Amino acid sequence: MARRAHLMAGFRRAFLAELRQIGARPGLMFMLAPFPLLLFALLAAVFQLGLPRDLPIAVVDQDHSTLSRQMVRIVDATPEVAVAHEASSLSEGRQLLLSGEAYAVVLIPARTERDVLAGRRPEVVLFYNNQYMTPGSLVARSVGGALGTVAAGISIEARVARGADVESASQAVTPVPVRQSALFNPSLEYVQFLLAAVMPTVLQIFIGASAALSFSRDRQGVAGLGRSLRLGGTLMRTAAGKLAPYTLTYLLVLWGADALLFGPMGVRFGGNLAFHVAYGFVFVLASQMLGAAAALVARDTVSALAAVGVITGPAFGFTGITFPRLSMNGFSTVWADLLPVTHYLELRTDNILRGAPFEISLPAFASLTALALIYGGATLLLLWLHGRRRPAIAVEAGT
Amino acid sequence: MIAAFFHEIAIAIMAIWTDKGARSTMLGATLFFSVFFPQPYLSEVVRDMPVAIIDQDGSTLSRELIRRIDAADAVAVARYAPDMPSARALFLKREVYGIVVVPPKFEHDLLAGRAAPIAAFSDGGYFLLNSVMSSALSNATRSLGAEVQVGRLTASGVDMAQAMAVVEPLRVTTVALFNPTGGYASFVLPAVFVLILQQTLLMGIGNLKAGRRSAGGLSTLADAIVYVGLYSLWAGVVLVVLPWVYRLPRIGDVAVMYAVVVPFLCAVTAMGLAVARLIPTKEGVIFFLVVLGMPLFFLSGVSWPSEAMPKLLHAVAFIIPSTTAVPALVRVNQMGADVRSVETAILIQLGLCLAYSILAMVVGRPKGKPAA
Repeated sequence: MARRAHLMAGFRRAFLAELRQIGARPGLMFMLAPFPLLLFALLAAVFQLGLPRDLPIAVVDQDHSTLSRQMVRIVDATPEVAVAHEASSLSEGRQLLLSGEAYAVVLIPARTERDVLAGRRPEVVLFYNNQYMTPGSLVARSVGGALGTVAAGISIEARVARGADVESASQAVTPVPVRQSALFNPSLEYVQFLLAAVMPTVLQIFIGASAALSFSRDRQGVAGLGRSLRLGGTLMRTAAGKLAPYTLTYLLVLWGADALLFGPMGVRFGGNLAFHVAYGFVFVLASQMLGAAAALVARDTVSALAAVGVITGPAFGFTGITFPRLSMNGFSTVWADLLPVTHYLELRTDNILRGAPFEISLPAFASLTALALIYGGATLLLLWLHGRRRPAIAVEAGT
Repeated sequence: MIAAFFHEIAIAIMAIWTDKGARSTMLGATLFFSVFFPQPYLSEVVRDMPVAIIDQDGSTLSRELIRRIDAADAVAVARYAPDMPSARALFLKREVYGIVVVPPKFEHDLLAGRAAPIAAFSDGGYFLLNSVMSSALSNATRSLGAEVQVGRLTASGVDMAQAMAVVEPLRVTTVALFNPTGGYASFVLPAVFVLILQQTLLMGIGNLKAGRRSAGGLSTLADAIVYVGLYSLWAGVVLVVLPWVYRLPRIGDVAVMYAVVVPFLCAVTAMGLAVARLIPTKEGVIFFLVVLGMPLFFLSGVSWPSEAMPKLLHAVAFIIPSTTAVPALVRVNQMGADVRSVETAILIQLGLCLAYSILAMVVGRPKGKPAA
């Protein structure tokens, strides 16, 4: 019992010393909670309006017929796009694409209506800017759909003229309709999904960087790591005591952002709350250990931060949220597996979005835990090495 | 005077080389990030995304439809599942990323001229996989449906040309411009490369200048010229050579590119000097910039259209050079825009350069804190 109290005292001393350090640095305090929450607000604002509406496009109508005007009207009526420009030529349309004023140009050539009536199957061309892939493909899909509706209408008329009844004529237009539905996330709330994935990725940077700062600051300080080690008593307690203030704060930030997401922003939570809390905790620990290990390898604070930046900064691309993991090269697959956030996001998706049973999530949870243990082990090992080396250096300095 | 100026230039160059932090950000990190960042995207497109099929019809036409789905580059029929629960289990294990159900009587209905719907399930969370799936399915169903229809019409005595005109009276051709294959690397990297230039330049300046007092006007000017000069070279590497190495489409005029790049780098340099005065420690500057990278990418409007952002946010984002420079450079390099199409962006960069220079001078003057 007494031994246990002693253990706790070591942890508490390291914990309190770290709190005092934080208290003495307003910059560090700012980066603990206000800054990540501010960034979350910024990102939420970026995606606040949901899927884009009324994306501007241009129309080159060289036909000026009833049919061409009908096409323009139907295209304009789709919620995603708005016909913002009537260009007189294709080169004018191209200029609108280049200056970013339009995402697509619809070309309706002269004699389109006449050729339709004569059964010559004229061609309407949709040029869209696929360099801006998100809006470009959205525009292409909705404009293509609208023009398809016009073509379907003509096709139905032609069949009715041949003696078919309207019912079978309209069925014949799309003989194999695809009823596509989402197995999970049925409302296709892609935007919320993206936001929910970006936030932990940004937090991973914060968590790793704060741990790196905490450890490398000690190494740089006058007393060095030795003082921290003496405060804590043992390696384990020192590391735990130093990191605990950050663990608590970032857990609160992580859950605070979740509370906003599932509360006011109305995202559906379909998973197991206890499990969500558990892997959130392991995620924070693993990210901290990653930062701490980086700090102990690096030579000074700036390189420690740079190392954390290099590892966690580009992480989003590797998580497979935007470009899927199944299409990545070998290096990216391995690298992604070394990042805590990859597993955390997979667990989130499985639990919250898919409501998957626990055994499905077991491999990802095991990977996340393994990362925490590996980085944690590396941190302890490095701390031990530094603790041993220090007296030697002191002797050298003395002689 | 001129000799003094060249002396300052030499000092500025030496400062980058001798400061370890500056050397590793302005020389090392720029190259490192440009090689590291593209890795996840290098395969450009999704190929052979595994899907599961539940074929409840088992007919010639259902097999033909499945063959056509499998023929799409992006999708591969990986598994046949007997029912929905087992297909769902495959989906949860991430062995398949989509499920297609061909209902019974598919062939029967199709040949009788009735609509023969199929059902498809995908994961609404993944935008790209979702759209890959729907385009593969719509191509397969449309081509099969049209063939069956034309077959029915010609069998009833209509000639081929007329049958085609009934089935498809108006052809809608869709042409993807600038990134014809829809490659993800081609889409993301040109924007990311510009951001890498901005962020590493800011970090480098932070390393050199954070918490230090200004060494006078001439020296600061020499520093700025050296930074802009160095990064103009980097711009050539990152925006011209690397796209060539990665085979990204690039059709722009290099002269037009520099007409945007130089004002952009001036604005970034001025911003860097101002930020270095505002945030007193190196660590603070670097941390601030690392964290800001991703939000800035989303704000540039390349991956997420600026039309879909709140107006106020978009207006505030203009104070960051990349917000306007990223789209301008993408338009020049990847879309072949001329100077006229990006003149607004150039003017904004020059305005920002001026504003940040003034800010840096104002902040730099009165306090003059001792170096940390």
